[in-house]
Amino acid sequence: MTATPTFTINRRQILKLAAVFGATATLAACSGPSLGAGAGAAEAGLTDWTGITPAKEITWWSNHPGTSKLIEEEIIRQFQAENPEITVNLVTAGANYDEVAQKFQAASGTNSVPDLVLASDVWWFRYMINGQILPIDDLAKHLEFDTADFNTTLYDDYTFTGNHWAVPYARSTPLFYYNKSVWAAAGLPDRAPKTWAEFDEWAPKILAVGGVTPLGLGKGTSWAAWWFCNMLWGQGGAYSDEWTMTLDTPEAIAAADYLQSLIYDRKVAAVAAVDQVADFGAGLTGCIMGSTGSLTGILKAAAFEVGTGFLPEGPKGPACPTGGTGVAIAADRTPEQQLAAGMFLKFLTNSENTAYFSSNTGYMPVRTSARDGETMATVYAEFPQFRTAVDQLETTRSQDWGRVFVPNADKELTTALEKIMLQQTAPAEAFAVASTAIATSFDENVSAYL
Amino acid sequence: MPTIEDLHSGLGRGPHRGTASVVAVTTKASSAGIVNTVSTPGVRRAFTPRKKKKPWKSWLLFLLFAGPNVALLIVFTYKPLLQSLYYSTLQWNLGSAAAIPVGLGNYVSWFTDPGTSRVVTVTLIFTVATVGGGMVIGLLFAVLLNRKLHGRGAARTIVVAPYVLSGVAVGLLWLFVFDPNFGITAALLDAIGVASPPWYNDPHWALVMVIIVYLWKNVGYVALIYLAALQSVPRDLLEAASLDGASPMRAFRNIVLPLLGPTTFFLSITTLLSSLQSFDIIQAMTKGGPLEGTTTMMYQIYQEGFQAGRAGYSSAVATILFAVLLVVTLIQMKYVEKRVHY
Repeated sequence: MTATPTFTINRRQILKLAAVFGATATLAACSGPSLGAGAGAAEAGLTDWTGITPAKEITWWSNHPGTSKLIEEEIIRQFQAENPEITVNLVTAGANYDEVAQKFQAASGTNSVPDLVLASDVWWFRYMINGQILPIDDLAKHLEFDTADFNTTLYDDYTFTGNHWAVPYARSTPLFYYNKSVWAAAGLPDRAPKTWAEFDEWAPKILAVGGVTPLGLGKGTSWAAWWFCNMLWGQGGAYSDEWTMTLDTPEAIAAADYLQSLIYDRKVAAVAAVDQVADFGAGLTGCIMGSTGSLTGILKAAAFEVGTGFLPEGPKGPACPTGGTGVAIAADRTPEQQLAAGMFLKFLTNSENTAYFSSNTGYMPVRTSARDGETMATVYAEFPQFRTAVDQLETTRSQDWGRVFVPNADKELTTALEKIMLQQTAPAEAFAVASTAIATSFDENVSAYL
Repeated sequence: MPTIEDLHSGLGRGPHRGTASVVAVTTKASSAGIVNTVSTPGVRRAFTPRKKKKPWKSWLLFLLFAGPNVALLIVFTYKPLLQSLYYSTLQWNLGSAAAIPVGLGNYVSWFTDPGTSRVVTVTLIFTVATVGGGMVIGLLFAVLLNRKLHGRGAARTIVVAPYVLSGVAVGLLWLFVFDPNFGITAALLDAIGVASPPWYNDPHWALVMVIIVYLWKNVGYVALIYLAALQSVPRDLLEAASLDGASPMRAFRNIVLPLLGPTTFFLSITTLLSSLQSFDIIQAMTKGGPLEGTTTMMYQIYQEGFQAGRAGYSSAVATILFAVLLVVTLIQMKYVEKRVHY
């Protein structure tokens, strides 16, 4: 070794260090957020849009959901052909919604904020309370943006305090996928079970086929607590009623009890180790609840014929959450830039482009006119499975605030569900821990900004 | 002119900088040598008592050499460090322009959170297993590779190769290896009639799994450094020992190991730092799960900061981790280093 260190530090060195630290502390204190409560969401309706000229250049941050980079570029090309005075820069801001959100939040307060940004179901609300995005309604009215044609559930997902904060773009829901060969071998009718009670009748027959676990379940954040909405709502329960956690209700406990009994009592369901979709594709499981976004991938990967259906109903009827992402306009930009961004947003989500995007990616057609249009009709003819997903839209509902609007809520719920599924923890116990943590997080991170 | 003390105070800033700091110290020692020869003809004067006034020219030279480095450290290390310390006293949602001062609230939350004991336990197990295991296995490899064997060059390359690979790529590959349905481990265990452990669905097995992968990736580094040290062990000492009738084991324990002391000391600090800061393998393989069974403090900082967006809370955890690293490194330097033979 070169140096022979003996660690000594004397008074003078401490003073020197202190001086350095002190000087830097002054520097450090110069930046960062301003202090004070109540500085939350951007105020609505402050801009008078008449008489504003759209900016010449705008930037859009996307992760190109459903490998849609070429599709998005094509839409931009057409927009620029129609509006030669505006240039749209498409930026790959991450590999998924979370990465885009991380960058968007980190860019806050700098001059590299984009004009348009993807705002997924779990992120738009946080953008809003951070004051990072603009309410859409006023601008949409000025631009004669036909928002009434949007699927109501999907558009109203972005409502808070009477405003819409984003418009739907790449939207998905969970879907029931089943292996038709397994279904045939078990002597089942070629359709998804209508209810979970029907699945209970069918499961022993699938088990009897041998070598196949009837139902595959997925774990992990951003996933488990999403599909569990189906069982939870189907039993009449919910994660929360607005901001109050309702996981201690008999309905919520019943839903978790049912999930647990599938795994431990009847042994007809198993939690996938890594990727439930891959396990299903390899024929290890007879059916799964997957995202509509996985449709194309599953159809390609599976060596067997894949059937799709609505998620099974619970005792209280059908239950299906919405998911995916919308697009929002940044608050911290000039009215000129926001106007140009609004113009592009209107173009991006018009009927024609909605159908174009949807037919090329497998995401839901977010406009009624696009859903019923010619482009989509061709797609339904080729992939009847896709029609199922679109039809199921009628039964969807927006997610509970207690999962999507509170920081860490999804993580806490996932941990609770993993305890229930992997360690046979009593649902009441697992849910109580999650509810307390989410309530604390709401008090600390959300309520002060509302 | 920089004295040995100056160098030591340089080493004092090492704790949160990992390998780079130790390397930096070595470079500074050599640049100090250059300063000596440039500014004063007599090397002996480098060791004159500190009371003597130093010529202003050598101070200027010192500033010239050290200045840019120190300036970078201030801008990219100390300033963020202090900013993070300041943010840890705020309730601040990442991305928000406003924040609420909460004093020590974030620290109180962390210390009273029911999940904290699990994070600390996971961090402790991961660190002890990867540092301890890495040192033992690395030394073993180094001893083996130090022998005259056929294909030694190839073997050395193979042992060191994983260290230069990207952690994410390594994690993704091992994800397949450990797959209980399709993976190689499942096939091997099946061949001897053992069922594959639930690597991904049991928090304890998941922790074992990431430790194995971390060791696989990083043991080459330890082996490489130990190998270099082994080759500088004087042969005459070993020959003399063997003439005196010492068994190879005895010679290893009483001669080689003590001579490796400085290397062990160096490795204990660098591997501890990189282990506590490891992130890539966990992110690629388990994302901290299942049941948060692989969430180390480092991973918690990421999760809280960038997934939950709790920038203040995340900064508080970062500050706690920094304090722990600082204390551990100071203890290592103060006590362990004294027992090292040079």
